[in-house]
Amino acid sequence: MAAWDLTVTVEDLGPDAPPLQISVTSDLHIGGVILKLVEQTNLKRDWSDHALWWEQKQQWLLRTGWTLDKCGVHADARLIFTPQHKPLRLGLPNGATLKMRACFSSPVFRTVMGICRVLNLRHPEELSLLRPVEEKKKKKDKDSSEELYDLTDVPLTAGSVQALYNGMPAHFADSPKTEAVYKMLSVSLPSPAPEAIAKLYRPASIVDKTHIHTRWLDSSRSLMQQGIQENDKLGLRFKYYTFHDMDPKYDAVRLTQLYEQARWAILLEDIDCTEEEMMLFGALQYHIGKQSLSQDMVSSCQGMDDLESALKSLEVKMVGDGNSTDMLDNMTAPELNDHLKIFRPKRLTLKGYKQYWCKFQETSISYYKSKEDRYGEPIQQLNLKGCEVAPDVNVAGQKFCIKLLIPAPEGMNEIYLRCENEKQYSQWMAACKLASKGLTLLDSSYQSEVQNIQTFLSMQRSSSAAPTSQTDESINTHSLVSPRYQKKYKPKQLTPRILEAYQNIAQLSLTSAILKFLQIWQALPDFGISYFMVRFKGSRKDEVLGIANNRLIRIDLGVGDVVKTWRYSNMRQWNVNWDIRQVAIEFDGNINIAFGCVNADCKVVHEYIGGYIFMSTRAQQQSDTLNEELFHKLTGGHEAL
Amino acid sequence: MDDIDAMFSDMMQEMDLLTQSFEAETESAPLPKPPSIPAPQEMNFSIGFTDLNASLHDLEDNDLDALMADLVADISATEEKFATERDTFKGSAPVAQIPSQPQSNFNLIASTDTSRPATSSNSIAAPPPPPTSKPSKEELEEQMKADKIKLALEKLKEAKVKKLVVKVEITDGSSKTLMVDERQTVRDVMDNLFEKTHCDCNVDWSVCETNPDLQTERAFEDHENLVEPLSTWTRDTENKVLFQEKKDKYEVFRNPQNFYMWKKDKKSLKDMKDKDKEQLLEENFCGASVIVPDLEGILYLKEDGKKSWRQRYFLLRASGLYYSPKGKTKASRDLVCLVQFDNVNVYYCKEYRIKYKAPTDHCFILKHPQIQKESQYIKYLCCDDVWSMTLWVTGIRIAKYGKQLYDNYKAAVRKAAGSATWANRTIQTSSNASTPSPTPKAKAANGHASHPAVETKGPGNQTSFPPPPPPSMEILPPQPPDPMLPPPLPAPSSTTKVNKFPPPPQFPQSSIPPPPTDDLPPPPPPPEDAEQPPDFLPPPPTSMTSYGGAALPPPPPEPLASLPPPPPAPQNFASAGGAPPPPPPPPPPPAPAPAAYQPTNSVRKVAPSPPQRTTPQLAAPSGGDFMSELMTAMQKKRSQP
Repeated sequence: MAAWDLTVTVEDLGPDAPPLQISVTSDLHIGGVILKLVEQTNLKRDWSDHALWWEQKQQWLLRTGWTLDKCGVHADARLIFTPQHKPLRLGLPNGATLKMRACFSSPVFRTVMGICRVLNLRHPEELSLLRPVEEKKKKKDKDSSEELYDLTDVPLTAGSVQALYNGMPAHFADSPKTEAVYKMLSVSLPSPAPEAIAKLYRPASIVDKTHIHTRWLDSSRSLMQQGIQENDKLGLRFKYYTFHDMDPKYDAVRLTQLYEQARWAILLEDIDCTEEEMMLFGALQYHIGKQSLSQDMVSSCQGMDDLESALKSLEVKMVGDGNSTDMLDNMTAPELNDHLKIFRPKRLTLKGYKQYWCKFQETSISYYKSKEDRYGEPIQQLNLKGCEVAPDVNVAGQKFCIKLLIPAPEGMNEIYLRCENEKQYSQWMAACKLASKGLTLLDSSYQSEVQNIQTFLSMQRSSSAAPTSQTDESINTHSLVSPRYQKKYKPKQLTPRILEAYQNIAQLSLTSAILKFLQIWQALPDFGISYFMVRFKGSRKDEVLGIANNRLIRIDLGVGDVVKTWRYSNMRQWNVNWDIRQVAIEFDGNINIAFGCVNADCKVVHEYIGGYIFMSTRAQQQSDTLNEELFHKLTGGHEAL
Repeated sequence: MDDIDAMFSDMMQEMDLLTQSFEAETESAPLPKPPSIPAPQEMNFSIGFTDLNASLHDLEDNDLDALMADLVADISATEEKFATERDTFKGSAPVAQIPSQPQSNFNLIASTDTSRPATSSNSIAAPPPPPTSKPSKEELEEQMKADKIKLALEKLKEAKVKKLVVKVEITDGSSKTLMVDERQTVRDVMDNLFEKTHCDCNVDWSVCETNPDLQTERAFEDHENLVEPLSTWTRDTENKVLFQEKKDKYEVFRNPQNFYMWKKDKKSLKDMKDKDKEQLLEENFCGASVIVPDLEGILYLKEDGKKSWRQRYFLLRASGLYYSPKGKTKASRDLVCLVQFDNVNVYYCKEYRIKYKAPTDHCFILKHPQIQKESQYIKYLCCDDVWSMTLWVTGIRIAKYGKQLYDNYKAAVRKAAGSATWANRTIQTSSNASTPSPTPKAKAANGHASHPAVETKGPGNQTSFPPPPPPSMEILPPQPPDPMLPPPLPAPSSTTKVNKFPPPPQFPQSSIPPPPTDDLPPPPPPPEDAEQPPDFLPPPPTSMTSYGGAALPPPPPEPLASLPPPPPAPQNFASAGGAPPPPPPPPPPPAPAPAAYQPTNSVRKVAPSPPQRTTPQLAAPSGGDFMSELMTAMQKKRSQP
């Protein structure tokens, strides 16, 4: 067989080195080509990650057993000998950028699996990569200022190693640098400055939202095949809104990143919510931020937590029986006594606040005309159990009022308590809140509640003084809400509202606060719908197709109303006509629909539908191994591997 | 029976004495006021006492038995406990108390029952994990101690368990009286009622509250506690507790498509496959957060303080009930929140067209459970038709209770299935029991028949109770010709025997308006009764209600059954009369049997808390007086230099 020269560029020789010519025959297999090539370079190194990339055809020659002939490589081919794993700049859901090695030669689906394994993210099938939004005015200096986390040195391990060291996967524990990366991954980042939020791209309409989905990479092809170069930036996001088997014990990173994605979706108005919901989201963000700050790396490990609390409770038990004298000392404590001003709004009353001597005991407030009368009968006793407590505070104006709505058979009694200063206010407020839940001052959460209130007040103080200043202790409430509400309310109007929402969640632990945030997010009516601009067969106008985890939604572009809903459970089959790029779906009862995609590739739509169907099969499969083949079968289309 | 009564009365008398002596003691003591008895409870106290006797009489024998057992156990436990306690207290405990121990126990009992050791020990085992901070060792220890003390106090609190004697009306017009302790859920209470009524246990059975002032009705959710809401009723309330089948209760789980796909034509949803229904439930109730049906549409809202009703476009979200203001879009950001569900319950209303000039009679309201009268804090809503009302009320319940509702349903189904087999068996026994065994439909018939009866008689005093319609749904015996005559109750054979014999002894009550006697036959019960096994069924035979309903003169002369109202059982009456309503602690005079019948509404706000079945010990028997003891000890300690 005739020998001919094959031209191969070896990247490792440097960008300016001329391509190597090696003499081959058509029945030489790829492995043989590589062997010859390596010999010719005279470089001694580990070539195991290298493979041949055929530039013109945009494909990898990965099957070393195939002959050149079988691969269709002829003398005119220009091959490149290059590593399969290259560094990639990965935009994480939390907004940070992480540089790490990813596989450029396997299908994106598997590349994502590799990335997630390094990041310690379970269920990689729910995530995917997308191209970043094209930044129009790219300022160079800005790029350099971007903090970059680097994980490129971390070796890729094969199996899914869950070995923990110091509360984190072993490969993060190597150096302080990688530890910092793990911290970034597993602890939510502090709230962004309000200006930063306002500056970021926000979808203004449902049409804008359809653009996001044009950017997803194709899961069945490799990064190289999709034109991604070394050191390019890609976003890693949760793509399918169905989160399987979430377990805080193993999912520190997953939970945090999901929370970050949800938080940004809210802040950037990707998903709409009501004002009440926004205030609750704001309060949760504040709480999560505060908890994360105070949290130590080690204690973020659930196992340690459990052990610690177990130990503590054990100690309590041991010491528990001995000294009743201490108990006596402490038992006398549960009261607050002070002068407060009380006001009961009534129709046709001009009376204002009047000062009384107040006593807080158990879950009730008794008030007396004066301190001297305190042993007599109180003027009134208010039992706060089941009541609503709302703050009415203005730090700048030195107004510290507690509004109580006390339920009674005739309706609610409205009563205002006015405190002199922050300290008094936080004590009484905390007591009222506990009492409304039926807890007394003895409850262990009382002190922390007092503190919570104080920090929140200090937040208001700073925000009313200098709206933009930001320290660890105090944050601007504007950074907790989307720009719409930033515009609508001044910080000092916003703070009380967030404070109000905050009091209901202040007791949550970090993990439960994150779970709560996710839960509320998932309960939003528009949650989990990915929008695509499509044109239905036989229709003359563009419409929007929403794809959710259980249904397809046809939405009128003009009004935004849902026109029709089809559920996957009624779906008989769907297929894509790749020639005219049209998706056709048949539902039970002889319902057929067909549409073409206006701005996204119909592969993306196809993959979304197939992906959701794949996700729904996971519940039945108990095994941990991912059925990759099935995924590609459902999402691959005609080019399926 | 006699024995028991005698024993019981003896016991009570003794308690009484002891209590009095104790009272004297306390008075002399310089204690300001034992902190252990918070004011609100005192109130309950007295409420309880007014009809403690009556309610005790209403209890069935077996309950009495249990009470007895409790008492005995309690006393011995108290003694024991005292022995131990002295040790624990290292002599600092007031020794003087020892003899008076048992009584104080009773003092306390009034509103609160002492908890069983079981609970307290449990709570030790699983103490709330102490706050996780890592202070120095000393701090830790201190913290530990503090926690421990709090824990101990909480235990003390737990030790006081409130109980109510509740009269529950049943659809057939009869009623059951049972004792409910504050830890029991509605599910527990229903299980209890199932046992007592031998109904078919299907999932629709509900415990409902009605409020004649507001003309509302609400089925308690199975997981709710019954005591709490009932104890917020006013003293003179006419509210009632009903036990009845409510189709709406779990309809959403039987036909989720009607709620989750409400926009679709109902007919097309009619034959949805079970598999699809299951999937719908899975999707909406088993995810990370429960999905609330996306209800929206026009409802009428009664304007604050006005008589007019205004149409608004409402939307239901997990976070609350919203409407879109005029001229705005339905977009989330424009919605106005009418109410969030944390503090309100949803109630069905009756005949609001007349009461409030509502556009239709299909109204529901949202209010704080403690509000019992018309108030500006109630939100009144009106729907076009019954179905839309069901949709909205169910949707709101889903939003409020979330997954709990589904869990309740599953538990109810299990219960129903479990009892099905059993029911079948009873049917057999019961069918041969006697004559016109109540037919399945008889239930309905009964209901109708007896309702009028109720009306004539006045609220809540249907007397004795025809043993509940047996579960014999399947058997269709000929309906008893006279609907007024509820057929004799086929009850489980053992009891039936007894019941049947003494049919004639009609208790006078039936003719008397007020006395809500129930099952407990007056003291001089027919001899047979004496031999009755403790689990004597709701005794009376057949026709009581019917007589009442028919307004027949009380039939056969019964010795005690003097026509006029006052309660039978003269002998005891005297004693009962002696210790009537008002002040708190008076221990119920031993009224073995009938005694004071109090014309009460169906619910007795009694806090009779005879000790629990399980033998209490430590903290238990003396919840309160343990506290007072501590107080004394403390005082002593203080007075020392």
